[in-house]
Amino acid sequence: MRLAPAVLALTLVAAPALADVDAVLDDHVLPGTAAFAQATQALDDQAIDFCQPQDLAPLWNSAMDAWVRIGHLRLGPGEQAALTIAFWPDERSAGRRTLARMIAAQDPMGVHIDEFPQVSAAARGLYALETLLYDPDFNDYEPDSYSCTLVSVMAHDLAAQAAALDEAWREKFAPELRTAGQPGNATFLSMAEAERALFTALHGGVEFDADQRLGQPMGTEDRPRPQRAENWRSGRSLRNLTLSLESLHGMATALAGQPVDAVDSAFDAAAYFSLAITDPAFQDVSDPQGRLHLESLQGRVRTIGEELISEIGTSMGIAPGFNALDGD
Amino acid sequence: MGSRRAFLAGLAALATPLPSWADAGNPRWLACAREADGGHALFGLDASGADTFRLALPARGHAGAAHPSRPEAVVFARRPGAWALVLDCGSGALLRQLTPPEGMQFNGHGAFTEDGTRLYTVEQRASDSQGFLGLWDSEYRRIGQIETGGIGPHEVLRLPGDVFAVANGGIATDPSDRTKLNLPDMAPSLVYLESDRIAEQVALPADLHFNSIRHLAHAEGTLAFAMQWEGDPAMTVPLLGLHRRGAAPVLAEAPDPEQALMQGYAGSVAVSGAEVAITSPRGGRMHRFSLTGAFLGATTRADVCGLAPCEGGFLTTDGGGGILRVEGGTARPLGLRPRAWDNHVVTL
Repeated sequence: MRLAPAVLALTLVAAPALADVDAVLDDHVLPGTAAFAQATQALDDQAIDFCQPQDLAPLWNSAMDAWVRIGHLRLGPGEQAALTIAFWPDERSAGRRTLARMIAAQDPMGVHIDEFPQVSAAARGLYALETLLYDPDFNDYEPDSYSCTLVSVMAHDLAAQAAALDEAWREKFAPELRTAGQPGNATFLSMAEAERALFTALHGGVEFDADQRLGQPMGTEDRPRPQRAENWRSGRSLRNLTLSLESLHGMATALAGQPVDAVDSAFDAAAYFSLAITDPAFQDVSDPQGRLHLESLQGRVRTIGEELISEIGTSMGIAPGFNALDGD
Repeated sequence: MGSRRAFLAGLAALATPLPSWADAGNPRWLACAREADGGHALFGLDASGADTFRLALPARGHAGAAHPSRPEAVVFARRPGAWALVLDCGSGALLRQLTPPEGMQFNGHGAFTEDGTRLYTVEQRASDSQGFLGLWDSEYRRIGQIETGGIGPHEVLRLPGDVFAVANGGIATDPSDRTKLNLPDMAPSLVYLESDRIAEQVALPADLHFNSIRHLAHAEGTLAFAMQWEGDPAMTVPLLGLHRRGAAPVLAEAPDPEQALMQGYAGSVAVSGAEVAITSPRGGRMHRFSLTGAFLGATTRADVCGLAPCEGGFLTTDGGGGILRVEGGTARPLGLRPRAWDNHVVTL
């Protein structure tokens, strides 16, 4: 899978203005991780007794909604968790291949709650669940089958990861952000560093929407890749993008401490352009008109990133990472 | 007559003792940085991380070589390097500006012999990126060059007995910028030079030929090398190698998904006691391993790259200005400076 691009590490270039770390944590991060823990727990509770797609699809969708709202928080406990909760993009189809192998071999690790966390990241989390619930090569399984137990175990593993993520944010990482610059805080040596870490996550989230959520299915003009669209089998590609942008907008407002006109306009423009998308799974990317709509939307999303840097980032004294970009 | 002259010369030497690192405040480390106004400088750091000196630089530095006895530092420009500066860290004087011979470029690193009578500078031929070590005498006069047996060498490290290890990164670059020209055919290697001849050459397994070997550290007969992955970003590969002379290299990595967070990039490597560490500014983390390659843990820090051994652990510097001491994986800040520390910390 491709990780976020290197530009996400950001460093100080000028005296920063104050941003509202507490507001981001209290209004955005912690409600988001709690909602995700709750949604995955509901899925887990249902999957103990019922494992078939029709039993679980609505709850999986709720969990997916909750994840998309916090998936950009790739800092602190979110760094590792993002890889095992949301293994996407998966350009080599490692998830499908691993799942097919496990099911064919009836791999005991797949049906053992304690051992399951050892399986490949590609076969864990929300996207592996989507494969089992929506992919016709996988979703035709009987109650009491290996796949049925696998789904239950996978849902349990997901809920456990979500609970751990929520707890780590609440108990450890949020306090580290709040106490930035205080003696003994070796994670953030100043409040400006905490602000920059949050801004990096915000900006990285917008880039992820442009480069991955839209860029993956767009591929190249000669070779569009509709099957690389996120959650295309469950038809959620556009929904993920929309929910993500809404959430990022909220985070931007919290971080700036107030609405910022140019940023609001950029988010509004992207929302407006998304209305032109007719296929919620982006499968019309091979059609010139469909592609044009996706390209236009991608341009609007990139504009959000630029506005965030000029309207919020610059006042916080932010520039791309000094060493991260040097590459030597 | 002759003895009288020798006697007077001896007296003069006593009267004005030879300059030493004490004249530069006895720094433990040297590091380049970009300052808040956008200018660049070389800093000396003492054991507590405090500045002992600051010398302005004309442009961004990469790494340096410290003379073993004289308080002289050679600071190399970033690749492709057209200059290296020899600075008197006591007086602040610019002693020499070194330029590579026509058609050659400095590659950012260099090392002195144990007695300080010779300097080796890592260079590549601009036309084809073929690797060389430039040889300079104690007055910084060019006296020759030797081949490193590979393309795009990056760091040279002196080992005990004036054996020199060179990381041939394997990447041919455009002479005017850093555009990479030969990625499909990359063949990085590690070489040991004894008496200016290649005594041993180490290559990676064929499936890792995209792993550019770039930085080096050494202790107790183990050479640690840090790598940067130029292959498919979707692949997660080891970024640290450990080599003992005559043996096959041991590759070390963290368990997934931690390894993936390094983003295929290790920027510095250091050995301290029984631990070896690598940093990834892209991943914002430092990984520690045992000398046999067992993963010990990760320590996160944004844009961390500079890395050196210190008592009980490691010193790190980062692009945010932080200087931290990491002991047993636990970081403790030594300071936050209004500057962006550059890639490397040179240990005196």
